[in-house]
Amino acid sequence: MAAVDRGAATRPGGHGLHLGRLRVRDVRTYVEADVELGPGLTVVAGPNGAGKTNLLEAAYLACTGRSFRQASDADLVRRGAEAGNASATVVTRSGPSVFSVGVDPQAPRGRRLRVDGTPVETLLDHPSRPRMSVFLPDRMVLVKGGPALRRAHLDQLLAVLRPSSSPVRRAFHEALRQRNALLGSLKARGVGVERAGQELQPWDATLAAAAAGLTTARRETAEAIRPAVNVRAAQLGLAGELEISYRPRASEDPEEVVAALAERHAGDLERGFTHHGPHRDDLAVRRDGRLITRFGSQGEQRLSLLALLLGEADVMEEATGSRPVLLLDDVMSELDADRRARLVGLIRERGQALVTVTEAGHVPGAGDEGVGLVDVVPGSAVVARVAAGAPADAPPADEDAA
Amino acid sequence: MQPAPIERLVAAFSRLPGVGPRTAQRLTYHVLSRPDEDARALATALIEVKELIGECRICFNLAEGERCVICEDPRRDPTLLCVVETPADVLPVERTHEYRGRYHVLGGALSPVDGVGPRDLRLEELYRRVLEGDPDDPARGSGPLVDDGTTSSGGPTVTEVVVATNPTTSGEATALHIGAELRERSPQVRVSRLASGLPVGADLEHADEVTLGRAFAGRRTI
Ligand SMILES: Nc1ncnc2c1ncn2[C@@H]1O[C@H](COP(=O)(O)OP(=O)(O)OP(=O)(O)O)[C@@H](O)[C@H]1O
Ligand SMILES: [Mg+2]
Ligand SMILES: [Zn+2]
Repeated sequence: MAAVDRGAATRPGGHGLHLGRLRVRDVRTYVEADVELGPGLTVVAGPNGAGKTNLLEAAYLACTGRSFRQASDADLVRRGAEAGNASATVVTRSGPSVFSVGVDPQAPRGRRLRVDGTPVETLLDHPSRPRMSVFLPDRMVLVKGGPALRRAHLDQLLAVLRPSSSPVRRAFHEALRQRNALLGSLKARGVGVERAGQELQPWDATLAAAAAGLTTARRETAEAIRPAVNVRAAQLGLAGELEISYRPRASEDPEEVVAALAERHAGDLERGFTHHGPHRDDLAVRRDGRLITRFGSQGEQRLSLLALLLGEADVMEEATGSRPVLLLDDVMSELDADRRARLVGLIRERGQALVTVTEAGHVPGAGDEGVGLVDVVPGSAVVARVAAGAPADAPPADEDAA
Repeated sequence: MQPAPIERLVAAFSRLPGVGPRTAQRLTYHVLSRPDEDARALATALIEVKELIGECRICFNLAEGERCVICEDPRRDPTLLCVVETPADVLPVERTHEYRGRYHVLGGALSPVDGVGPRDLRLEELYRRVLEGDPDDPARGSGPLVDDGTTSSGGPTVTEVVVATNPTTSGEATALHIGAELRERSPQVRVSRLASGLPVGADLEHADEVTLGRAFAGRRTI
């Protein structure tokens, strides 16, 4: 057995935090749910519409105070109920901590967030909060869609891996907003390019300083995840080299950015917004040199996204000491038996993961000791049959292929 | 529902910065529980502060009368100007005891998003002060240097301007704007920016004295 496997077995749930008990009341389909999660893999099984995604959403809600699919309070609360609540016991190195989120569409002050009974403004920067890495079928737009989402994703990663870059990111967005507002007003006032240039100059310099800093931080983050994503892609059986590369628009030298902005004054004035800068960056995902966005099959795109999430989890674990909890919704569809077995093997190696499937049989090793099973019975609205324990040594991925 | 006068006071308190509806309620009950004189004293203080405090004619800091205490103080060096965004930013600089010059209060910072452009700030006044120096204070008894009937008879000219706008995006852009303008209009004047011992995105008002003192010592030319 490989050293990695043994390591994972002696450190159940990876190095850091995982969810223990998850309790849900009057959220989505659930009147009540009470689930004890193991530190490793938990399979959430049930027919279409049973409430599997809802359960993952509740776990995410309890730990972040947010939904992972832009949901209003009214959407989240079970139809017919007035208010709902999701809470999770988070197991940390210094003992358990209870995160709880109350949702009441009627409440004027929004969701009620608590940690161990104490109200808090936000859960997001709480030190015991487990990070969550989410795969949803509609997150496929991350590899299929335009650059905006990949940029946002890269910036989220940046916030985790390089928290010190947060001020620069904020400063960039603020400077961009200000410069665009100025362009709009200069245009409306019909100010000539030369005169406008004078007014733009301090904003060009402010924007350039932040833009250059942001570009550097993004490049370093993309470089940091590249090797891990590459490794994970190969392990997932994605043929050919998967390469993540950052495609910046702006220079990392503020002086050069200032010059590039000045060159575009006329065009910027005409259209009333800033054309040059990291707000137009992209993160390219290529396989053997070809953009996966345009040339990947469904399964390949799915595997690429999974490789990205797994690779990022590795890097986050290394950087912060704790591995994000993986919430993988409907991840098995479009994958062949071999790829499924590989994926399950990898997620059982380390860390906590919740995986939804319509039939438990689609997850190789679902019946194994140490793998939790949550049967979501449609209509009952109460979660039944929960089996969870410490994760056993992960079986070699290909042996388990059905 | 509470009696209307109570509602009115709660509403008035809630408009204060940092006061939520609950605190406003508590303050209102507190006022009610105290003797009449206390309420009257508070009301008088509120009205007086608005009636008696205006803007300094020289630096636009808060002043009781024509000039603020700093502009009236003969020991303050009139050749040195510190540019700040608001009157609230003067106090923290004063507390460092590092600075012996005068101030210039801009009345804000450039912010196109809020429609604040160069003409909405006391910038022309700043450039004029730098170019011509501050008018002498007749109350100080020295009288006008040249008795030609104008008030801007010119004191000693400014040799250095320290731009202490907040280290926010707006504050930075304002500092750059001032730096560029002064380089053109008064190239002989040294213009410096507070070194950022200040955390990025922090307001001057909330900076502690030690960091601010250090920032003053390490100011850089812009
Ligand atoms: N606020 C709510 N109150 C009651 N039911 C809701 C609420 N919001 C969503 N639902 C119901 O939840 C069901 C969907 O649940 P969920 O998305 O978790 O299913 P699923 O088990 O993931 O199904 P699939 O296998 O198709 O992905 C829908 O029938 C929907 O009507
Ligand atoms: Mg679902
Ligand atoms: Zn004054």
